[in-house]
Amino acid sequence: MSKAVLIDTSKCIGCRACQVACKSWNDLPGKSTTFSDTWENPKFLDSHNYTRVLFREISQPGGDLKWQFIKRQCMHCLTPACASACPVGALIRLPEGPVVYNDDKCIGCRYCMMACPFQIPKFEWESAVPLIRKCTFCADRQAMGQEPACTSSCPTDALLFGERDKLLKEAHRRIGAHPGKYYPEVYGERTGGGASMLYLTTASFDNIGINHLGFRTDLGDYPHGLYGREWMSKVPWVALTVGSLAVGLHYLNKRRAQVQSQEHKEE
Amino acid sequence: MTQSGTTPELKRWYPGEGKVTPFRLALYALVMLGLISGAIRLFFGLGATTNLNDAYPWGLWISFDVLAGVALAGGGFTMAATIYIFNLKKFEPLLRPAKISAFLGYLMFVIGLFFDLGQPWRIWHPMIMWNPNSVLFEVAWCVMLYTTVLGIDIFIMALERWQKHDWVKFFRDIYLVLVVAGVILSTLHQSSLGALYLLLPEKMSDLWASRAIGPLFFTSAVIGGMSMIILESIISAWAYKRKPEMDILPSFAKGLGLVLLVYFAMKVTDLYARGATVWSLDAPHLAFYFELFGCVAFPALLLYFHEVRNSQKGLLWAAGIAAFGVVFNRFNVSLTSYGGYRTFSYFPSLVEIIITLSLIAGGILIFDFLTKNLPVYKSELAE
Ligand code: SF4
Ligand code: SF4
Ligand code: SF4
Repeated sequence: MSKAVLIDTSKCIGCRACQVACKSWNDLPGKSTTFSDTWENPKFLDSHNYTRVLFREISQPGGDLKWQFIKRQCMHCLTPACASACPVGALIRLPEGPVVYNDDKCIGCRYCMMACPFQIPKFEWESAVPLIRKCTFCADRQAMGQEPACTSSCPTDALLFGERDKLLKEAHRRIGAHPGKYYPEVYGERTGGGASMLYLTTASFDNIGINHLGFRTDLGDYPHGLYGREWMSKVPWVALTVGSLAVGLHYLNKRRAQVQSQEHKEE
Repeated sequence: MTQSGTTPELKRWYPGEGKVTPFRLALYALVMLGLISGAIRLFFGLGATTNLNDAYPWGLWISFDVLAGVALAGGGFTMAATIYIFNLKKFEPLLRPAKISAFLGYLMFVIGLFFDLGQPWRIWHPMIMWNPNSVLFEVAWCVMLYTTVLGIDIFIMALERWQKHDWVKFFRDIYLVLVVAGVILSTLHQSSLGALYLLLPEKMSDLWASRAIGPLFFTSAVIGGMSMIILESIISAWAYKRKPEMDILPSFAKGLGLVLLVYFAMKVTDLYARGATVWSLDAPHLAFYFELFGCVAFPALLLYFHEVRNSQKGLLWAAGIAAFGVVFNRFNVSLTSYGGYRTFSYFPSLVEIIITLSLIAGGILIFDFLTKNLPVYKSELAE
């Protein structure tokens, strides 16, 4: 059974304890930061920031403004596009859920960055021989029977770690128990073929205005990585067809030319 | 084995050979600059020397050196198929130059990719680390094998030049294998380079994000290859003061016109089938119109005219526009289409531009060297 995290954004208070916990567990250096247009910090995910909380203020039906805090990190897709893209198999999904990266295989082609529908893999641009960096779902901690650093640090239980099917049930229970409170879809349940990070939100990501900041709402349920796999499954047949056509046409056309020149001679 | 030492020299008649012209000097200077920039790039890393970033992981090198370069080098397999599979022997004089430029195109790809990779010294990893699900894995293998095939082709020319007749005979006997392998490998990777973009439809403009991008890339690679053959035949004839092959080029250009028409029909059908919003006046749409009407339909129309096909200038223009169109398409797919989606912008850095220019300059110099030292043009072939 695979593990997942239920992220109930209505419980998040924007304290960023998860960001700090992630930094310290993964030994990531701090960076001097600048003001952003909201209160969020840092401004972007990068090779030193695997997670960050997005801050957005959206207007309510009554005219009030309400804060929305949305934690962002790798979605740990069930059928990850990054793993379908990587030519050397440096990114793979473990059966327990985490999509992990192998430092020793990566050639630095950055196709995973292009392919990830959530724009998650980041590159160590400051290094002379850079590698890819992204949230690991704390696969190392999970292997020791511990929960991820971020979920363990959350003071309000906005981040709940557990079995994916149980968390999904819990999510739908909450939606049913509080009519009108939640947006009725769990982002990540089927999004892009399903993910291990499940979001319960009070409004759709469209409405919050972050659907182009890593929370696409137009991905559909079909995992885009499979487009590549489908293509690859056709490759042997294309090779065979083109090959036999080429050989066949070669002999056919040669023969035809011979016959023609014979006829010319006989005329 | 033939006796070495007494190998008769190839007859050479290139006027002005060995003379240092300003053009040549400029090429050498560019290559030098490229070497320096390459060293800087390797020493300081991608972040410091390029304008690539997390929002734009792929830039000029992927668009030009990889996507456009390989498409323009499509002449190798197109010519091989024309002559050995469709048995159109009259085009034989165009084969060898096409192979040399194809080989150089792929060499440019490999060197460009080497500088583009974050871990260039691991460029060989796909050989032993396999991910058969990955389109890029397939591209890596096909390009590797096809570059080897082209390398063998050049090597056979060298063997002819050194008069190693037994060896030449050996390769001639297995030549069909090389041709068929080359055609298969090219079909696969030319289309797969487009299929790379199958995974990211959400990040691309509707105009280019097509399920049919593989076949579209393949067909436009044939266009790229054929127009480069025409361009290269005429330009090298002028440079070496030979006569261009005006006996066969017009009918070859007719073929190019046909492929352009087929490609145009494919593009239109694809847009229609997907119901893409075609009429609009923003930048991506303007780029799209220019690509489709200016660089596909227009050269096809030009080549329809007998006068154009039979004049060197006419051919040069038509083929030049068609080749430009293929390059422009690759930039559109990889940058214009993607740029419409990002809030960031990207323009290549000086190092990126210099390395790309120096690859072109190096290509011209090696082409010049090879055509002068190998039996490339018909009149040099010992029959
Ligand atoms: S979110 Fe992106 S990086 Fe993470 S598993 Fe999915 S495709 Fe891979
Ligand atoms: S950058 Fe590394 S991890 Fe990403 S696709 Fe390329 S080889 Fe795989
Ligand atoms: S799961 Fe681990 S790596 Fe991922 S965001 Fe949480 S703490 Fe960071």
